[in-house]
Amino acid sequence: MKTTKDKTIKRLAIVLVLAAITGARLQAADLKLFGTNGPPVDFHGFVSQGFLYSSAYNYLGDSSHGSFKFTEAGLNASFNPLPRTRIAAQAFSYDVDDAGQYDLVLDYALVEYTFNDYFGVRAGRIRRPQGIYNDIQDVDVARTFVLLPQGIYDARWRDFYVSLDGGEFFGTIPLKQAGSLSYEFYGGMINPSLDGGAALEIRDSLPASGHLDSIDSAEEFGGQLWWNTPVDGLRFGAAGGVVPVFNFNTTIQIPGGSIRPNNRTEAVFQQYSGEYFWKAWTFQTELFFKDYYPEAAGMADMHSLTWYAGAAYRFNKWFEAGGYYTEYYGDTSQPDNSLQYQKDAALALRFDVTDWWIFKIEGHYIRGTGLLQENPDNPVQNDKGWWLIAVKTTFSF
Amino acid sequence: MVLAWVLLLGGALQAAALDGVIIIVNKSVTVDSISVAALKDIYTGRTTYWPDGQGVDIAVLDDQIIDKTDTALEEISGMDTSHFKTFWQRIVFSGRGQQPDRIGDVPSLVAFVASNKGAIAIVPADADLKGVKKLEVK
Repeated sequence: MKTTKDKTIKRLAIVLVLAAITGARLQAADLKLFGTNGPPVDFHGFVSQGFLYSSAYNYLGDSSHGSFKFTEAGLNASFNPLPRTRIAAQAFSYDVDDAGQYDLVLDYALVEYTFNDYFGVRAGRIRRPQGIYNDIQDVDVARTFVLLPQGIYDARWRDFYVSLDGGEFFGTIPLKQAGSLSYEFYGGMINPSLDGGAALEIRDSLPASGHLDSIDSAEEFGGQLWWNTPVDGLRFGAAGGVVPVFNFNTTIQIPGGSIRPNNRTEAVFQQYSGEYFWKAWTFQTELFFKDYYPEAAGMADMHSLTWYAGAAYRFNKWFEAGGYYTEYYGDTSQPDNSLQYQKDAALALRFDVTDWWIFKIEGHYIRGTGLLQENPDNPVQNDKGWWLIAVKTTFSF
Repeated sequence: MVLAWVLLLGGALQAAALDGVIIIVNKSVTVDSISVAALKDIYTGRTTYWPDGQGVDIAVLDDQIIDKTDTALEEISGMDTSHFKTFWQRIVFSGRGQQPDRIGDVPSLVAFVASNKGAIAIVPADADLKGVKKLEVK
């Protein structure tokens, strides 16, 4: 575990570098890194800092006392070295709750070849498409809200959900009067971190005598379809995927020795989405199913479900407001157990102070504690409603 | 009858969208004309390369003081300026494309298109088109 001093130094370094770059307002046209006749390199980046405060519990950090452990920063570059070819990469660092720890990760690094509008391929480390927000869930400028519905887009689990090492096919098929169909099909390896959200949840579930030794890389396959309807701004999506074997290795001390349980699990998910941009309005709704099938005898399957519906309205160039309601059920066999569900009504205000600086403030009224990690920070959980205030500012270019 | 009405209305909308504006491209772009549907594919990221394999480089005005180009962009892309910006931010930060370049005024926008291979932009019909090619909209 990194010391507070280490993390502070990292945080300052990231903030200073990104602030300097943002201040310089680098633009692709200004960066002829390969000479005046070479392809220009397009740079973009962002740095976000948030603050969370909750009326009860500690959620996404020590929020009951106010928590600044909500930082994200990214820097990317992209260029076209050859016809129909693009190379792009993004470095990313984050710290949410105890996940991330400001580790600098290669978020994506890919080569892309587009044969035509209907078919292209990407290979390398790619962002995984799923729903409206999975591949941009940590990009604050690209949405109204500070916190997305956490039952689908858990800020702590990005190392598990967001990127994979492999490849994908993509393209858009015109459907004439019926609009068009965009598709992405991918396969590769996910590499969950021992500093990530999955590791945190595993550690919290172990007995006091247990230890998380490692998390194996795992294969993942899936796809995302979007029907871009003939109505401008209206689209519907369907995504699915499978991790055939997710395994983590633990050691549990018992009297006289230790045991290493079989933790192998198959994970399957489906997500259905609808989005409508109409004038200054944005309407969104999604439904997400996640199913775990443990290999070990006697271990029960787990089925979870999340849905949300939300809207946002942009009043003018600098002000937007939005809200959503979401329900998460960690175990669909126990829909009335407040320890398993989390129901959240959110209202957000977004201020675009300048083209490169935004500020958000939002409030959540939450019933249930299904997404709180079971740890000594939350020893008592009940079904009383509680509040969460989230504030966040982002600089981007 | 309904289909004919829809097609007629669609054609009228296309003409109205480009009233008072023109489409300009870098002289390296080999096409001389483009349909409104193809323009929409470009401005919504579905078409990212010209037929010769050269990357499409979209440039837009940063400050929306020119109503006609703003309106034309909205009609072509199907998105208002806020949604257009958010749409492209999603694409660039997910590694799926490059964000349109934002230029502060019309002369600079024309100069940008003139000096960047594959560039395309919407400008007022009375703009000085030095160094760029005008695309005919079919």
